[in-house]
Amino acid sequence: MIPQVTDSQARAGKNAGIVQQLPSPLPATDSSIKGLVRQFEGLQKRPDSPVAAIRTRAAREARFADFPETIDARLREALAARGIERPYTHQALSWNGIASNENVVVVTPTASGKTLCYNLPVLNALAADPSSCALYLFPTKALSADQLEEFNGIGAALGKSVRAFTYDGDTPSSARRSIRRRANVVLSNPDMLHAGLLPHHTRWARFFEHLRFVVIDELHSYRGVFGSHLANILRRLKRIAAFYGSKPLFVCCSATIANPKELAEDLVEERFALVDDNGAPGGEKHFVFYNPPVVNEQLGIRRSYVNEARRMALAFLTRGRQTLVFANNRLATEVLTRYLKGAIGRPPGGRSPIRGYRGGYLPLERREIERQLREGEVRGVVATNALELGIDIGTLDAVVLAGYPGSIASTWQRAGRAGRRQEPSMCVLVASSAPLDQYVVQHPEYFFEGSPEQAHVNPDNLEILIGHIKCAVFELPLQDGESFGPHDTGELCRFLEEVGVVHHAGGAWHWTSESYPADAISLRNVTSDNFVVVDLSGDSQVIGEVSFPAALSELHEKAIYIHEGRLYHVERFQYDERKAYVKRVECGYYTDAIEHVQVETLEGFDDDRIGPAVANHGEVRITRRVVGFKKIRFHTNESVGDGKLSMPEQEMHTTAFWLHFPMEFLLSLPYSTAATRDGMIGLGNVLRTVGAVMLMCDVRDLGVSTLNAHDGPEALLDPELFLYDNFPGGIGQSEPLFRMRRQLGERVMKLLAACPCEAGCPSCVGAPGEVGEQAKEVALRLAESLIEEQAARHAA
Amino acid sequence: MGETTRLDIAALWRRIKASAGAKAFPSQEKPGAASTGNPAGRHRPALLDADVRRNDLGTFLVRERFFADGRMNGDIAIAHLRAFQPSWLEGGSEARPPTRRPRRWAILDTETTGLAGGTGTCAFLVGVGAAEDDGFRVRQFFMRDFDEEAAMLRGLADHLRAFDGMVTYNGRTFDVPLLKTRYRLQRQPHPLDALAHEDLLFPARRIWSGRLPNCKLQTLESAVIGAERQGDVPGALIPRRYFDYLRTGKSEPLAPVFHHNVLDIVSLACLGCVLAEAYSAGDRAPLRHGEDLFGLARWLDKQGDSDQALKLYRRAVRAGLPPGTRFSSLWESARIERRNGNFEQQIQLLLDLTKVANMYRAAAFVELAKHYEHRVKDHGRALAMTHKAQRFTPSDELDHRERRLLRKIGRAQATMAAASAPATEAGGNRAAP
Repeated sequence: MIPQVTDSQARAGKNAGIVQQLPSPLPATDSSIKGLVRQFEGLQKRPDSPVAAIRTRAAREARFADFPETIDARLREALAARGIERPYTHQALSWNGIASNENVVVVTPTASGKTLCYNLPVLNALAADPSSCALYLFPTKALSADQLEEFNGIGAALGKSVRAFTYDGDTPSSARRSIRRRANVVLSNPDMLHAGLLPHHTRWARFFEHLRFVVIDELHSYRGVFGSHLANILRRLKRIAAFYGSKPLFVCCSATIANPKELAEDLVEERFALVDDNGAPGGEKHFVFYNPPVVNEQLGIRRSYVNEARRMALAFLTRGRQTLVFANNRLATEVLTRYLKGAIGRPPGGRSPIRGYRGGYLPLERREIERQLREGEVRGVVATNALELGIDIGTLDAVVLAGYPGSIASTWQRAGRAGRRQEPSMCVLVASSAPLDQYVVQHPEYFFEGSPEQAHVNPDNLEILIGHIKCAVFELPLQDGESFGPHDTGELCRFLEEVGVVHHAGGAWHWTSESYPADAISLRNVTSDNFVVVDLSGDSQVIGEVSFPAALSELHEKAIYIHEGRLYHVERFQYDERKAYVKRVECGYYTDAIEHVQVETLEGFDDDRIGPAVANHGEVRITRRVVGFKKIRFHTNESVGDGKLSMPEQEMHTTAFWLHFPMEFLLSLPYSTAATRDGMIGLGNVLRTVGAVMLMCDVRDLGVSTLNAHDGPEALLDPELFLYDNFPGGIGQSEPLFRMRRQLGERVMKLLAACPCEAGCPSCVGAPGEVGEQAKEVALRLAESLIEEQAARHAA
Repeated sequence: MGETTRLDIAALWRRIKASAGAKAFPSQEKPGAASTGNPAGRHRPALLDADVRRNDLGTFLVRERFFADGRMNGDIAIAHLRAFQPSWLEGGSEARPPTRRPRRWAILDTETTGLAGGTGTCAFLVGVGAAEDDGFRVRQFFMRDFDEEAAMLRGLADHLRAFDGMVTYNGRTFDVPLLKTRYRLQRQPHPLDALAHEDLLFPARRIWSGRLPNCKLQTLESAVIGAERQGDVPGALIPRRYFDYLRTGKSEPLAPVFHHNVLDIVSLACLGCVLAEAYSAGDRAPLRHGEDLFGLARWLDKQGDSDQALKLYRRAVRAGLPPGTRFSSLWESARIERRNGNFEQQIQLLLDLTKVANMYRAAAFVELAKHYEHRVKDHGRALAMTHKAQRFTPSDELDHRERRLLRKIGRAQATMAAASAPATEAGGNRAAP
């Protein structure tokens, strides 16, 4: 929420560019990647070097296999025409798996020819029997559109036996009927399958009767709530397929995660064969960890990572290297885009070679940027994780990560955007002062030797499960004894009968409600509502769209909305119309929303004393509200004013782990009320970091709050510290936290004790300016208390 | 997930955990359970003076209502329904082999468990009306519970075999796809494609959408047929009534639903008569309101019957029309007059249209410009009309016309000048010493 661009007060003027900083051992004319690496190596040798680590991955030769005998001659020719004479090993392996009727999950890096792993077997099956059908699922519409082109590129060789179409929210209703009648390959997304195809399966009878393949690309994106929904949608899909007498084979592709096979098996609930032997070639690749130098030892303040990332990117760009910069939020993306555009300038009469790229841009604009990247017309792009998924932009020379992306897996994925097949490439991680960034950059082995995160789903999250049981009953009456995933559905249906939405007759459960249950479920845990941004400067043009929750913090009145580095002042925010009206401005600042999060406990599942505190886990209601904003000056990041806002609240039910410190204990500590509260907040920040590391999850998956909605002002003396699942309904992160409560205390203690700052810094409890002078001291005291008793017990 | 069930989920968790231990929800042996309250299923009484029917797929109910010839529904006599031939509605657009002209029409309407569509919406009551020798009979097929659906659908299919045409209201988008889905789910062949289908919603809209606030069947029933309903249940409450009946087994609240279905079918038949008469009578259609006449005129016009359309436009204007439709009538009439070669009438209508502000004013000027340019060859006047048109809606096309006219006028003047110039010259010569 609060972007990390404000983490330093370092003045831009004090910082010389990295280019000048480096006592260059090479003539400046050496603009090769190798030359740059040598400069970093030189810098690394200096005392207190900001270069924390340099790792190099050697170039990899391609390894080929042979096409199977069974391949259709036309396909083979089409491949040869594209310069593919032989398949890579992983492509052949996946073919063999599918040929022997196995579900296959393929895991190889970006740009390794993954799509052929599924396209070839599917096309070959269509060649043999054009009535066969395949369903492709991509997490986004953009990817479906992209892949349709790719698929038809080869599929054209088979002429009329390939009839592939995208079918999603963008498909005009006039085309839908014809697609339902004709298509044998449908490229769609889980949302459409959930709300469009399955509840109307009789219209798709032919398709389901002949369904032979289900392809799930970008498997790794189906973690957490989204994945838990998909698992249930696949249960429904398999039920419907069975009704029409078909049993499709599943082919999944994933970026690198720790447990691809397990994830595929959890999602599909069938056995999978794993293909992870990557035969694609790769050029030499260099990875640099860069930690901006400390400018204030006592306050633990480092140079702004955004400014450092900007210099890094400029170093590449000025050497003619096509560069992709990843930032972790929209604001940082836009600020960096603006900085780079300003620094690079534009050719006379031409457009800037720098572009921004994020979710809120309109689809056409995004397609244009992707194309210009592929064609080399655009030299630098600053992007959010919107570019992390497999959109085809080719590969680039260099990637700069402005801040640690939050997980090992997505760091590798973003880094994978750099990497020509032959040429060397490089990726620089510029750490922010956030605790997790500092941990990673100071422990390079955590990243380089560590396993990427596991991706977990919890299809049996009751709230999710029940929603999909409703959909399943709607689609087809549930027979007695019929299972749904591993579940017997009897008890669940009896519950739904009490609620009044199903009815038992003739040995089956039937849907007895006027509602359309799929409509009540949002797979991506946010409302599908969008706000559009209307620019009033010219002739009222829509320039972007912003998702519902983000709009409240980005489009409030008086906010500065940044789009492609251009600044717009929000004139009017119309909540009911889902519109924000903006005007072009030039001003020296941007805005950053201040959000309050309140937690209300609904029900405790379990509790246990830990030191003087009580640890709990259970259900909570989270209420978020944007209450104000700060104006922050570009480059210096000074706060130059603020404002109050009254925005609508957003509610979410989820599960949480929480610590309750009794009032008597807190009063017994030698601190003022304010200091104690600061200490709690500080402890919360550390807990969140440690919790994310221990759960191996993205730090953003955990929310932290010390505000309990039940409490009045006296609550400050009897507070609770919440660590909540940042997904509606929860994805089962709070129970393991509760289970690991003792280790949690110990590791919090360790992190606090090991941090060299004096009185708190952004890398532990937070900067003193933000959490108060005594926060670190109090947090340390509280953490101690959590393990004291344990120690005592051990001693006894 | 609905908020209503939100807190129950915690309770459900406890229940499931208590009954099944930590992991999953193992089978509770007795499937489905007769224990769950299922009164409708338990008694299965014949209800609402309906008969229980049986076929090889099970039982269902059939209830009949007969309207003898002597009765009236609003302004329409039941005896009149026998004359009903919806084939008159067929437009030229819907090609149907003339050899398959239906003779036996079924008037069909369903009552469903919702309007959401999709596979979870069910038709629990299907009514089929048909004219007989001495009156009009409605036969209703009803499932007392979901396990009677298969038998009911089979019974319906058997009954429909006696017909070769079907009349519905919005059946094209609602009832027919819904029934097809039901047959598909029961793995039964559906009887519907064997029937010619007239969906009266479309012809009704053509005539009445201009005048009436909406074209719901009940709106037409009171506005066109003149019938008033008594003891009816609002359509929106029908699914609820059926669900309540399933849970409680009490059938009385369903009586108005059966009644509603019968009324819909009888009114639909009457509406068919009104429409068929209007469409077959053409310019002599027994319609009184200008807007209704206009609607019919426009339809016949589109079907290519411009003579009747023209007469109807005239009748519509005489009957009185609000400004928008009045100007449309004049405009369309002018178009037909031109096609028929009655330029005098056409020009008169166009001139009328240019006199007051209306949406055809600019277009009328354009038509007049064409008339003067091509037919009368009065380029000066054509240019004046073009200029007037440009005042209202400037366009490239008009600019083009303007240039062309100026060229023509210029050429004409040049020719004129050329024709007179030698004379002057000659004169000059003559004058020269």
